[in-house]
Amino acid sequence: MIALAATSLAVAACSAAYPPAGATDQGRDIHSLYSWILIPAIVIFVLVEGLLVWSVIRYRRRDDDALPPQIEGNRRLEILWTVIPAIVVLAVFGLSMETLGTVDAKSADPAVVVDVAGHQWYWDFRYEKEGIDVSGAGQRPELVLPTGRTIRFNLSSGDVIHSFYMPAFLFKRDVIPGVTNTFEITIDDPGTYAGQCAEFCGLGHADMKYAIRAVSAAEYDAWVAQQQAAPSGSPPTSPSPSAGGSAAPAGATLEVSASTPTSFEQSSLETAAGQAFTIHFTNKEAGVPHNVAIRDSAGDVLAKTEIATGPADASVSVPALGAGTYTFFCQVHPNMQGTLTVK
Amino acid sequence: MTTATLAPVAVRTRTSWLEWLTTTDHKKIGQLYLVSSLVFFVIGGIQALGIRSQLAAPDMTLVDPETYNEFFTIHGTTMIFLFAMPILSGLANFVVPLQIGAIDMAFPRINALSFWLVPVGGLLIYSSYAAGGAAIGWTGYVPLSTGGAGGQNFGPGLGTGVDLWIMGLTVLGFSSILGAINFLATIFRMRAPGMRMFRLPIFVWTVLVTQSLALFAIPVFTTALVLLFIDRNFTGGAFLNPANGGSAILWQHMFWFFGHPEVYIMILPAMGIISEVVPVFSRKPLFGYHAFVGATIAIGLLAFGVWAHHMFATGLVYLPFFSFLTGAIGVPTGIKFFNWLATMWRGKLRFSTPMLFAIGFLAFFLIGGLDGALLAAVPFDYDVTDTYWVVSHLHYVLFGGTVFAVFAGIYYWFPKMYGRFLDERIGKWHWLLTAIGVNVAFFPQHLLGLEGMPRRIATYSADTPWAPLNLLSTIGAFTIALSVLLFVVNVVVTFRRPLEPVPDDPWDGNTLEWATTSPPPPHNFDRLPPIRSSRPVFDEKYPELAERAASAGAAR
Repeated sequence: MIALAATSLAVAACSAAYPPAGATDQGRDIHSLYSWILIPAIVIFVLVEGLLVWSVIRYRRRDDDALPPQIEGNRRLEILWTVIPAIVVLAVFGLSMETLGTVDAKSADPAVVVDVAGHQWYWDFRYEKEGIDVSGAGQRPELVLPTGRTIRFNLSSGDVIHSFYMPAFLFKRDVIPGVTNTFEITIDDPGTYAGQCAEFCGLGHADMKYAIRAVSAAEYDAWVAQQQAAPSGSPPTSPSPSAGGSAAPAGATLEVSASTPTSFEQSSLETAAGQAFTIHFTNKEAGVPHNVAIRDSAGDVLAKTEIATGPADASVSVPALGAGTYTFFCQVHPNMQGTLTVK
Repeated sequence: MTTATLAPVAVRTRTSWLEWLTTTDHKKIGQLYLVSSLVFFVIGGIQALGIRSQLAAPDMTLVDPETYNEFFTIHGTTMIFLFAMPILSGLANFVVPLQIGAIDMAFPRINALSFWLVPVGGLLIYSSYAAGGAAIGWTGYVPLSTGGAGGQNFGPGLGTGVDLWIMGLTVLGFSSILGAINFLATIFRMRAPGMRMFRLPIFVWTVLVTQSLALFAIPVFTTALVLLFIDRNFTGGAFLNPANGGSAILWQHMFWFFGHPEVYIMILPAMGIISEVVPVFSRKPLFGYHAFVGATIAIGLLAFGVWAHHMFATGLVYLPFFSFLTGAIGVPTGIKFFNWLATMWRGKLRFSTPMLFAIGFLAFFLIGGLDGALLAAVPFDYDVTDTYWVVSHLHYVLFGGTVFAVFAGIYYWFPKMYGRFLDERIGKWHWLLTAIGVNVAFFPQHLLGLEGMPRRIATYSADTPWAPLNLLSTIGAFTIALSVLLFVVNVVVTFRRPLEPVPDDPWDGNTLEWATTSPPPPHNFDRLPPIRSSRPVFDEKYPELAERAASAGAAR
């Protein structure tokens, strides 16, 4: 019983010592490289720790006071432990350069080209050939990709440095303003894989997530056809009245505006309890998406405007709220927030 | 010698506050460095506990993201610039003049200035908390740290606080540059007669190489900080900010051209301490002295050719060059490991607290060396760079390595500094808790990195598999905190105890600091033994062995 538990624990520990198998051609190569170079690391680890433990036990001081032999060095040994590690280093270098050749390889004509734009704090994707846009503003975008085809990513950033990290593919590449980085993958295994930004990019760094859904080539083609048939523009979010404050049924209209991604121009709002009201949001910041949402102290979102990429505006009708303190914030930039007092 | 033990006691009781503020005695300045560094160690550690508490479970809201980002920025900055570097400078300040038989540093007043700039820089860095915070990471990557085209900030924690962070680090840069010149002048010009270069204690050699690295690396970083300050504060400053025509990647090159030698600035003196402690407590000379010196110089030179291995994932560096040299550093590091093991081999090991910490260094720094060597393989680096693998690696190097060596050095030289032994029993518990804490805190982070957890995220959701290992890591962090508390208790207990005179040479040491009283008089030495090898004190105790070694050396 104990042996069984120990065995399963050991197996779990061993598998935890490895990254995922790698769902792409390139990821598999990296996984196999890791498996190879881990071997000398473990051998050296066991050898050195073993010698250390052996010395501690075997050569601990016993009673006598005599000095041990005063050995200053040994040329043959010293040459040995310089040359052997040098050979190991060379071997590991050779292996890793070989893998690097396949991981960084680029084809003449990739089947799918995705332009990835990193923003604080969301991802936008554009399928270059198919003309499909997937925006991540205010939501976690899903990138649908075919298995068995070469996919190229072009990475660019409009603000700070991000890193496009795909843990299941054992790969990341930095997204740097002023630079377009390119890499290619071929996915082998269908499935949904989580990804997120890996370069610290400010307040919402931890929220900068996306998913890749890898499907068969046929399913992918069907998805593309369906997307192309759908009306252009951003993918469906919850339809809500947009543009202008005309939809406001009754009660007050609260004005909110923004011109930077740091904060709203209003830090606090006030309205009466038990009365429906309208929030009218003006985004003055060109090219940057914002919205206004309201959450209660438990963190539940009670109402939100559409995400408006400036210059633009958006409104939302808010049902009557009980007296208390609420927070209004931008779902794209969670640092933009203020207090809504309902009395 | 027995009468001399009384005089230092009288000196110590006379030390007034004014004397501490105005002293130019390298021994007192060394102690000031130690105290200031340990205070910052505790403050930086408290921020680490904040970070680890927030990550103990998924979706925690204990520390809000803005504060979290400021915590890890200032934690990293503190531990590197206000703890690791100054505490090693402090130990070197106390030990180097004694080990080379000098009366003081070459420039005692500049030495005092170097120290006093440290708390000034520290205050500037910490005042960032009162000025909107500095949330840029200790690496301060551009353009998050510069702001956009119109000078607008990319979020909170990127305002005036960042300017204070820049100013603080610039002040610390001047402190380090002055210190480097001072150490080099001291080691080259102040050696006692007979103390030839190849008779220098290994610790002095490592300080020599370290301070040479500092002299070449830190001016580059200080320059980069000035460029950053100009870009942030003056219209038309366009060195680094891509929105104004600068290059974001230039900052990374300048930062890591400093940042990688910086790692060796923090680890080479640590290796030096280990090379003092292991021979003394094994009662053998260091195996392969010349090879060890050569390996230290080789690491110092290679340190300037590997900086871009921090930038593999940028896709903008020449990979084979940096990958190969990074791997190559493993060879001289390996030589050192085998030298230490061969020193212990067939020795007579005494497990006093300094030796326990030295053994901890060997056991845990090895892990930080091996997981770092794996990072030299570029494709694997693509996967785990900027994940918790790297966090684990750097903490094994800097905690498993540097901090263990620092504690080995403190327990070893404490009787020489204060004429008192730290309590051995508390010391052993301190060691045990640290050894457990470090591995529980940092080993799981390797696995988190392999599972794909990015670093510097303020929280993670419950649908990831990261929760159990994070909890374990947090438990480890609090274990480390407990061990540090035990060290503080040890210091307090030691100073409350009635004074028992400590002999000149309590550990059966080899080098010149053990030839004078504990603590030494203001002028350091009443007499020096003849210096005919790297172990003058040993030679005096065992003259017949010294004769034999000297004739063997002449024959070589």
